[in-house]
Amino acid sequence: MSQASSQSPEADALLRSEIDRSLRHPVMFFFTSGAAWLAVALLLGIISSAKVHAPGFLDSCSWLTYGRVQPAHLNALIYGWGCQAAFGTLVWLMARLSRQTCRAAGLILTAGHVWNFSVTLGVIGILAGGSTGVPWMEMPVFAWVPMLLSFVVISIWSMVQFKVRPAGHVFISQWYVLAALIWFPWVFASAHLMVHGFSGSPLMAAAINAWYRSALVFLFFTPTAIAAAYYLISKVTGRPIYSYSLSLLGFWSLAIIAPWAGMQKLAGAPIPNFLPYLGAAATILIAIPAIAVGVNLLKTAAGAPETVVNSPTLRFTVAGVIGLLVTGAACVFLNVPPILRMSQFTLSGYGFDVLAIYGFFSFVAFGMIYFVVPRITRREWLSSRLIKVHFFLSVYGVVTVALVAIFGGVMQGLGQEAFAQPWEDAAMRAYPYAVATTIAWIFLLFSNVFFFLHLALMWLRLGRRSSHPTLLGHGHHANLHDSIHGPEGDIDNAGPGSAPAH
Amino acid sequence: MIDPSKPDLEESVNVTEAHERVVLGAAAASREKKLAENGSESISLWVTILCAVPLLAAGWTLGNAGTLFSYKDTVKEGYVRVIPSAGEEFALPPKDAVAAYSAKGAKIYGKCIGCHGADGKGDGANYPSLAGSEWVEGETERFAMVVLNGLTGPTSSGKTYGVMPAQGAGMSGDDLAALMTYVRNSFGNSVGDVVTREMGAAALDLSSKRANPGSPVTADELNSEHKKNLPGEPLDPATMLDPITLEPAAAE
Repeated sequence: MSQASSQSPEADALLRSEIDRSLRHPVMFFFTSGAAWLAVALLLGIISSAKVHAPGFLDSCSWLTYGRVQPAHLNALIYGWGCQAAFGTLVWLMARLSRQTCRAAGLILTAGHVWNFSVTLGVIGILAGGSTGVPWMEMPVFAWVPMLLSFVVISIWSMVQFKVRPAGHVFISQWYVLAALIWFPWVFASAHLMVHGFSGSPLMAAAINAWYRSALVFLFFTPTAIAAAYYLISKVTGRPIYSYSLSLLGFWSLAIIAPWAGMQKLAGAPIPNFLPYLGAAATILIAIPAIAVGVNLLKTAAGAPETVVNSPTLRFTVAGVIGLLVTGAACVFLNVPPILRMSQFTLSGYGFDVLAIYGFFSFVAFGMIYFVVPRITRREWLSSRLIKVHFFLSVYGVVTVALVAIFGGVMQGLGQEAFAQPWEDAAMRAYPYAVATTIAWIFLLFSNVFFFLHLALMWLRLGRRSSHPTLLGHGHHANLHDSIHGPEGDIDNAGPGSAPAH
Repeated sequence: MIDPSKPDLEESVNVTEAHERVVLGAAAASREKKLAENGSESISLWVTILCAVPLLAAGWTLGNAGTLFSYKDTVKEGYVRVIPSAGEEFALPPKDAVAAYSAKGAKIYGKCIGCHGADGKGDGANYPSLAGSEWVEGETERFAMVVLNGLTGPTSSGKTYGVMPAQGAGMSGDDLAALMTYVRNSFGNSVGDVVTREMGAAALDLSSKRANPGSPVTADELNSEHKKNLPGEPLDPATMLDPITLEPAAAE
C-alpha cells in the first residue's frame, strides 16, 4: 500500500471509481442474476422442504416431484446464486486490490451469460427429469463443460491483474481470492471428469462426489467469503487486521486441511476404511481455520462497534463471520464418533450445507453487495428499513434452518439407529423438524423479497443520489449529520439547474 | 488518466477540479478509507487452547476408526451390527412361520440364482425351472436330497439337463429348511407348509447315510429310496415366529 499512499487522496479515489466503473456491467450482472437465482432456489427449497412432511403437496405435476425439486433447489442455490455472487466478489476484489481497471469487462460479461445460460438449461434439465442423480452434480452432463470454460474466461483476467499488480504488499484478501480462483477449476474439473468423464467404479464415484461437495464449500465458497470479509471489515472500519500471524494460520491451515475433508459422508460404505475417517478428522480440523479467521476478523471489527451496527455491509459481514465460527463448531459436532454414526442419511448433512452456504457465505456475499453496488451504480441504497428487514429475517431464517436440520437430523439418526423399530419411527422423529425447516425457508424467501426489490431498484439506477451512505443506525436523519462519515453531503449530481435530489 | 495535451502534468494538479469530479461522480469511492497495514498481535493463549479442541476431537475420531490405511478392511471392524440374540431387548416383530423361514431362505437362494434365476424359472435349456416342479412341491426328503447332493440324469419332467452340483457344503439344517420353505412357497409354488429346522437337520443326517454319500442323486434313487417326507413334527404355518431365531415368538 506504500505506493497508494504516495498518491493524493483525489487521484486515489478517481482510480477506485474508475476500477468500479470498468467492472460495473459484469459485477452488476453477477449480483442481480445471482439474486434472481436465489429467489428461484428459495421457492424450490420451500416446495422440496414441504414435500418432506406433506408428500401429497403438488404431487400432480411430475416436474415438481421431490426427486427433481430438491436437486434443482440445491443446484440453483449453489451454481445460480452462490457461484455468481462469488464471481462478482472475486472479480471486483482482485481489480480493486491489484489497483487495475478491468480491460476485459465485455468478455467477463459474456462468459457470465454463458455460465448463467448453462445453469438455466441445467436446472430445467433437472426439473424435466434429466438429472444425473449425483448430488450437487445433477445437472445433465452437457452443462459442466461450458460452465468450466466460462469460469476460466471469468477468472483469467483477475489472475492477469494480480500478475501486473503494483509491487509491494499483497493484502490478505488477495491470497484467498487467488486461492479460490485456482481451487475452483481443480475441484470442479476433477470431480466432473472422474464422475461424468471416466467410467470408474461407481463406489469411488460416490466417494469423489462426497469429496466434491465438501471441497466446493471449503475450497471455493469459504475462501471467497473470507477474502470478502477481510476486505470489507478492514475497509469499512479503517482498522488494521488484528493479527498477521492469525491470518497466516487461517490461510495455510485451510489450504492444508480442506482438501482432505468430505468422504465422512460415506462412513460405513464399502470404500477403503481410512477414507471416511480421515475425512471426518479433516472436517473436524476445519474448525481451526474457522477459529483463526473468525477471531482475527471479530477482533478487528470489535474496535469499531458503532460502525458495525451502522453499516449494512459490516452488519451482514460480521454476521457471516459468526456464521463461519458456527460452521466450524458444526464441523466438530457432526464428526465426533458418537454423532458421526447418526449423521448419515439424515437431514443433518443438508442443515450443514445450508449453514455453510447461507449462514456463512451468503451473509458475507450480502455484505459485499451492500458495499459494492452503491459504488458501481453511483447511487446509494434507498432505505435502511429494507436492509434491516432483510438482515433480521435472514438471521432468524438461517438460524432456524441450520439448527433444526442439524439437530433434527441427529434425532432422525437416533431413530434410524434403533433398527429393530420400523423405519417409519425415524421418519416420524424428523417430521416436526421438517415442518420447521419449511417455515424457516418461507422466512428466508420473505426476507429476500426485500433484498430483491431493493437490488432491482438499484439496478434500474433508481437509487438515492447522494454523497451520503445509507446507514442503519438510529434511522433519524438528524443523527446522520454527526455520523462518522462526516457532515451530510447531499448534492445535486443530476446536472446543473435541477432540483436537489433526495 | 493523463491528459494527452499536457503529458508532463500530473493529473491531480488541479485539485479543485479533481475533487469536484470525485465528489460528483464517485462519492462512495471518495469517502472510502484505505486498507491499513496488518496488525502484529501474537496468537493468544486462549486461541491456541480453542484450536486444541478440534485437534483433540479429530484424534478421537481417528482413534475410533479401526485399522486405518488398509484396503482390505473396507468397513470398520464391528461396524456391521451383531444380530441380537433372543434374550435381548431388541426383537423384530414376529412373522408367521412361512414368511419367517422364507425370509431367511431368500438370502440363501442367492447361491441358486446363477442357474435357476431370480424368478426360479431356470432358462429352459440348461437349467430346469423350480416353478411347478413335482420334486420341489412333492415329498420333502426327495427335494432335500437333490439340494444337498446335486442331480444327474433326468429330472422330474423327464428331460435331462446338465449335472447339478451338490449344494450341501457348509449348509446347516436351518439353512436347508429355510431354503426349501422359500422355494416351495415362491415363484408361483404355494405348498403352504414349512420345512422345520428339525426336518432340515434330519435331511443332513439322511444325506450322510446314503450308500455313496457326496455323489449326485439320480431319479431312480430318489424315487426308490427318498420318496417320503422328512421326519419331524409338522409346524402350523400360521405360528408366529421370531424372524431371527425362528423360535415361536413370546406371546404378547
